[in-house]
Amino acid sequence: MSTDILFRFALAVIIVIIGALGYWLINQRLLVRARNNVFTLFNKLPNKPVIVYFTTPDCTPCKTVQRPALNQVSKLLGEKLQVIEIDATERPDLAKKWGVMSVPTTFLLDARGEARYVNNGVARAEKLMEQLQTL
Amino acid sequence: MTSQTLQKVDHAALKANQLFIISLNVLAFIFNQPWLAAFVALVMGIGSARKLPGFLPIYKNILKPRGWMKPDVLADNPEPHRFSQFLGIVFMTAGSIALFLGATVLGWSLVWLVAALSALNAFGGFCVGCAIYYWLTRFNLPGFSKQPPAGTFPGMKPKAGARV
Repeated sequence: MSTDILFRFALAVIIVIIGALGYWLINQRLLVRARNNVFTLFNKLPNKPVIVYFTTPDCTPCKTVQRPALNQVSKLLGEKLQVIEIDATERPDLAKKWGVMSVPTTFLLDARGEARYVNNGVARAEKLMEQLQTL
Repeated sequence: MTSQTLQKVDHAALKANQLFIISLNVLAFIFNQPWLAAFVALVMGIGSARKLPGFLPIYKNILKPRGWMKPDVLADNPEPHRFSQFLGIVFMTAGSIALFLGATVLGWSLVWLVAALSALNAFGGFCVGCAIYYWLTRFNLPGFSKQPPAGTFPGMKPKAGARV
């Protein structure tokens, strides 16, 4: 009986870990792709944190949430931050290279051009600020 | 996103409900107790009949008064959350029946599915059942009339600005 419970407990832990690991791996893969493709956006690194924002013209949450959140962050950080907006319908090549699966997607790059965070879906201003503070 | 009357929805109560569902489902699996999964389905069913989260009494009478969870009241539509709970009941009931009939893999898979979707809602702020509700609204199906709160992606938790 106790062996069975222990086995099931271990299985439950494994399932939870696999779920968390799966999510983490997807994000890591996206970050690696972003790192490999950073020079598709710049010729020279801007030496400041960058937010690469993928959107489309018909993306409502992009207009209603993501864009205002980015405006808020840009206003707070001013010249210390660069935001690059990419229309995935105009630049499907970039969206593909960066592994963008949905919009909005935001990548946060540090001053060395290293992709450090990816947000699949809407990322609020508070979350972006928290992430930027660690860069 | 048309103008509509939003109501006060305590997302802490929803989160407490989800945390209980996750915990009890995982415990049901660990201790191999299909009746516990059936109990979760029953509580969710009672909650659904009352148009409230199933485990709301625990939040209301224990967690909130003791300050273990603080209210997180936002302007939102309660209907998609009710629909989401209804979907949970369907899966939990099907899972419980499968378990009692000896189809353990199917049964526990359904129980884990509910736990996983509850976790996505509780920790990721994304309610799959609500997203399905809003998606069905687009087809003008009877009973599905609510639009997501302005500025909120269908299924996502409303932003803090929607606090009431």
